[in-house]
Parts: sequence; C-alpha cells; structure tokens
Amino acid sequence: MGQKRILSATAASTALILALSACAGGDSSGGGERTLDVWIMEGTHPDASAFFDEVAADFEERTGATVNVEFIPWADAHDKFVTAIAGDTMPDVAEVGTTWTPEFAQAGALADITDRVGDTSAYVPGLIEAGTVEDRLYGVPWHAAVRAVLYRTDVFEEHGLEEPRDWEQLREAALTIKDAEEDMIAFPVPGGAEYSLLPFVWGAGGDIAEQGDDGTWTSGIDSPQAREGITFFTDLALKDGLSSTGAATWLETDVQDNFVDGKVAMAISGSWTPKAILEANPDLEGRVAAFPIPGPEGGHSPSFLGGSHLSVFNGSEDQDLAWEYVQLLTSDEYARRWTEETTYLPGKQEQLARYAESEDPLIRPFAVQMSQAGRGVPVTPAYGKVQGQKVLQTMVQSILSGDASVEEASATAAETIEKTLNGDG
Amino acid sequence: MARPVLTRPAAPAAGPGGPRPAPSRRLSARTRRLVRPWALLAPALLAIGVLLMYPLARVVWLSFQDYGLDNVVSGQPDYNGLDNYVELLTDPYLWTVALPNTAVFAVFAVGGTVVLGTLIALLLRSLSPLWRTVVTGCIMVAWAMPAVTSTYVWIWIFDVDRGLVFQALHALGLIGPEGFNWFTERLTFYAIVTLNIVHHGFPFVAVTVLAGLLTIPRELHEAALLDGANAWQRFWRVTVPTIRPVFAVVTILSTIWDFKVFAQVYLMPGGAGSNAEVLNFGVWSYVRSFSQQSYGLGSAIAVLLTLMLLAITIVYLRALFRDEELR
Repeated sequence: MGQKRILSATAASTALILALSACAGGDSSGGGERTLDVWIMEGTHPDASAFFDEVAADFEERTGATVNVEFIPWADAHDKFVTAIAGDTMPDVAEVGTTWTPEFAQAGALADITDRVGDTSAYVPGLIEAGTVEDRLYGVPWHAAVRAVLYRTDVFEEHGLEEPRDWEQLREAALTIKDAEEDMIAFPVPGGAEYSLLPFVWGAGGDIAEQGDDGTWTSGIDSPQAREGITFFTDLALKDGLSSTGAATWLETDVQDNFVDGKVAMAISGSWTPKAILEANPDLEGRVAAFPIPGPEGGHSPSFLGGSHLSVFNGSEDQDLAWEYVQLLTSDEYARRWTEETTYLPGKQEQLARYAESEDPLIRPFAVQMSQAGRGVPVTPAYGKVQGQKVLQTMVQSILSGDASVEEASATAAETIEKTLNGDG
Repeated sequence: MARPVLTRPAAPAAGPGGPRPAPSRRLSARTRRLVRPWALLAPALLAIGVLLMYPLARVVWLSFQDYGLDNVVSGQPDYNGLDNYVELLTDPYLWTVALPNTAVFAVFAVGGTVVLGTLIALLLRSLSPLWRTVVTGCIMVAWAMPAVTSTYVWIWIFDVDRGLVFQALHALGLIGPEGFNWFTERLTFYAIVTLNIVHHGFPFVAVTVLAGLLTIPRELHEAALLDGANAWQRFWRVTVPTIRPVFAVVTILSTIWDFKVFAQVYLMPGGAGSNAEVLNFGVWSYVRSFSQQSYGLGSAIAVLLTLMLLAITIVYLRALFRDEELR
C-alpha cells in the first residue's frame, strides 16, 4: 500500500509539472517560417475575417510570410495589451485606439515609426497629433471616428422641426418633442459618457487641460466657459427634463440601446453606430439621419476625434516585415475597402474629402463634423489615467444626481485632472 | 520537488529483499518516516504554492513598489517602501467611503444571508422528504446562477425608467413618472447589492445548516419539550449550541465572500468608477490597479483587505469557540 501511494504521489506531481511546463511552452512560433501576429479590434461589424483573409493571402504572395490575425473585443483590449506587454507576448502589429497610443509608446512597447512614415501631411492632422509623443510618431492613422447628433427624421417631420443650428434651437427642438411625445426621451444626457459632454465644454470655449511652457498642466474644466457648457448640458436634464432619471448612470451603449428601442429622439452618437442601430432594428431604416453638433451661436461644436492607429510593437522580431504589413493595410485600396465595409471614416485627408461630399444622411454629417470640428483630448500618456479614473463621468454624474453643483463638481474634477497629469496623483 | 524523487528508490526496499543491492537501503527507516508525509503532501503543497502562495507573495511585494505600466515593460522595480500604505491610510476616502462600503455592507449581507439561510433550513427540516427535495432544488437555482447573470437581473428589476420596481411603485402612486435613480445614492445602491448577495448566498447557508440540524439527536428536543420549553427556547437553548461550529463556518465563509464582493458592484451602473461614492475595497483595488495602472497602490489595497479579513476571522474563531472546544 505505502509503496503504491508514494508512486502515485510522485506520478501526480510529475504530471503537474508536465502540465505547467506545457503551459509555459505554448507560445513558440514555428522555426524558420516567418509569421506575423496581428491584433485587430472587434465589435464594429460582423465579418472582418473575410477581409483579413484576403489581405493575408495578398501579403503571403508578396513576402512569403504568413499572417495570424486575432480579433480582440474593444472592451477587453486595454487589459489585454497591458498583460501582453507585461508577459512579453505582444503581437507584431496591432490596431491601437488613438488615446492609448501615447500611453503604450511612453511605456516603451511601440516602435518609433517617424522615419518610416516620413511625410504625414496626407493624414488627418488630429490623428497624427494623437500618435505623437515628444515629436516621434508611434502609430499610422488607420481609420477615424467622430460623434455627431443622430436623430429620428420621422419625429422631426411630424412636429415640423428642422435640424438645429445653435444650442438654443437644439433645446427648443427637444422641448417640442418632450411635450408631444410622452414616451420618448427627447435628448438623453448620459452620466457615464464623457464624449457626449465634451462638445458642450469645447463649444463654449472651455478645455480639459492645457500644458504650459514649463511642462505643467492646467485644467480648464472649471473655467467660466467650461462651466457654461457643463451647465447647458446638465440643465437639459435638470431644468428642462429632456433626459430621463435613469440616464444619470447611462453609458453610451445604454443611449444606443434605447435609440434602437425607439425611445430616443436625438442623441450624441458615433459615426459607426448607425449601421449597428439599423441592423438591430430594421424598422428604423430611412427614419434616422444625423447633423453636426451645433455651436452655441451657430457653426459647429467640436467633437472628439477618435479612431485607431496601426502600430508596430517593439517586441516584434522582424519590424521590417511588420511595417510592410502596415503599409499594405493602409494602402489606398485596402484602406478604402476597410472604411467602406465598416462604418468608420478614413484616416487620410484625400479619402475623407469624398465622404464630406457624400449625399448619405448618415455619412456626410459625420464627415463634416470630423473635417471641420474634430478635436483631440490632451496628448499625454497620463491622460489614460484621467480616463481610468472616470473624472468627467464622475463630474457629470454628481451634478445629475444632485450631489454637487456645477461649480463644486468642476472644481473637484479640475483638481483631480491636474494632480493626475502632473504626476502626483 | 527533490523529495518525491528521493522516495522512489525507496520503494523496492518495501518488497521482499531481493538479491539486487537496492540503492535505497542507504535510507534508514527513520529518514523514510520523515520523508513520507512530505512526499504525500508534495502535490498539494506544489499546487498551493504555485496557485496561491506565489500570487499572494507577488501582491505583497508589489505593494512596496511604485509600479506602473513602464515598470511592467522594463521589468525594473521601483521600491518606495511604505509610501503606498501611508498614502492609503491617510486618505479620507478609505475611512469615509471604501471601508464603510465594505464593512457595514458585509455586516448586513452576512446577517441577512445567515438569518434567511437558517430560517429556510428550519423550514426544510420540517418538510417531508419529497417536498424537501423540491424546495432544495428551487433554492439551488439561485445558488447556481452566475454572479454576472444575477447582477444583471437585479439591475433590470430596478431599471430606473422601465424596471419592475418602478412600475409597481408608480402604479401604487408612491413615486412620480420621472422615477427614482436607485444607483446614484449610496444607500439604495448597496441595498440592491445586499439583496443580490443575500439572494445568491442563502442557499449555501440553508443547505449547510440543514445538514447540521439533521445531526441533532431527537432526544434533545424531546427532553426540552418535556421540560416545557417553547419553540423559541428550543431553538436558542438546544439547536444553536449544538451546531455552533456550523454557524461559525457559514458566518466566516460568508464574511470572507461578502468582504471581497466584486462583480456585483462593478457591473452596477456607476459601480465601475464613475460614482466614487459606491466603490468597495475590491473594486477600488481593481480600478486603481488596472484602470489607473497604479499596480503598487492597488496591491496595497488588496493587502489591507486580506489583513482585515484575517483579523476578523481570528476574532470570530475566538468568539465562537470556547478555548476547550478548539482543542
């Protein structure tokens, strides 16, 4: 008996060790053959795999290297990147959200591609700026996204409304809808969506933060202009009752879900959402259009210009090969097809110009918003931490729930932003 | 890992002494006696070491460092001694928000879970075997439900604009058509979390306490009945003292679980960080570590939580067992 037990104990521990070493050895890529690992974000449209299979076949023909594309859902992507950076299991090439690029670059994970890209004038300037840290470029603009106001044309027609051209018209249109459509939310004011707030802050002339000559950041979120914008935005809910009580804790996805359900008349919404909304509720086909976010006295309010870069990782064994793949993906043909198949906007000026002339009511307003009133958040690696702390969401939520006045909430937010950006938070 | 390998040659020695001079003969009987328990424990120790002790030690180690994303990449540690702990312990947020949200909530959640579980166990004991099986089966459904699912169900029930609770209260005329946002107020937020946790946790208590109840000899209750004890007295004088260890176990386990609640807070509207009023230790640690990439500070929060749980467990054990019962 005793002998048997010892043997099985030994066997069990041996098996465990084998299992553990098997885990550790799972990442080897086969010998001499050249393989490129590529991460692409997922969650925009259903079948990107066919597109990437084609690109991979083309790439293999040109270089003889095989491409292994992995799709990563946006929601998990940041954690997955960080884990990969920590465990040195980074891909060769990846699509990186523009607000993450400075952060990963600062951490030393991304390759400096300034010299490879050369002249950047062909790209949308905001996206180049977002990928630049200390005058070096770490990501090629691939596609862009911007938010404008999505609205229900049938509701507008029924009540004789026109697309608002300034803030007061926006408010009045929403008030008309509120009085006429009891079951509808005229203009949701979501507490958990920073990019729905920012157009009002920027439109009124405020800013999140600016870097002085000595390198320190000063937050303008508590400036009189920013407060005016925040007050207008939150008063739409608090004074005019154009939003709903529940919206105080809504994320952008909750706004979208309610739009799909036909409960929302107007909402700040991304350029990639109309396709998803119409897919989820085909009844809305032909009853949805968009307009650029109006400025306080006419013109446009700036809206966050986001999107994706393609970046080469420092961990890549063959950065030349990785760069070739990036070039292929951003080449005119594939870039055009990618933006057509998704509902993203192209990251190149020349391609974007065609969209701004499009007649499609779900494309043109977004392209106009992007080319005329697109704006970035502070380009500093520490801004990721400000977003991580959800400073702006906390501010809006505390105002909407009545816990703080605009003055108090914006002062707290400014203090947190400055502390975090200046590196003592 | 040297130990089990050492004992392998010892094995033939246990057989009838063959002509081969087994190398293991060099191991005396005393050595074998010393080695054998460790050999038997080795697989378990190895598993615990790899899966439990290493991550634990790593978290403690991290908590003495200023560890950000750049440290992750470079692999260079940046020790800052007790700075993380000083920063945490002097932060009013810890004392006014995170600690009450963790500890006060846990008191109510553990209390609710144990009381409801015990009541259900008493109900189960009085049922016939058939009905006992039926009721146990029903409550098991609540237990088997993943935390994420049950959290979304509760969020849906309390949905501000269209939820069941809103509709019921509105129909009764208790709240107006504009509704009430349960998720922005700390108290109502945690009331919903408590409901969720109690609903999810009571089946374990019910089943465990029932097992304890069934071991109580009938004679004890009969004797108490003859002495004129009513149901209330029989419960407190007979049932509770007899199965005190069972209560100790379910209370300690529930306390540990309820202190480190994560998904049930994180997934609630505002619970992922945008409503700073409602974070508890677990979510705070996660937000600090992963959303803000202050892994050192996040680890320090986790270490504080662990120390707190250890202290509470020790106090519980001492209070619930008298010294002689421990032996």
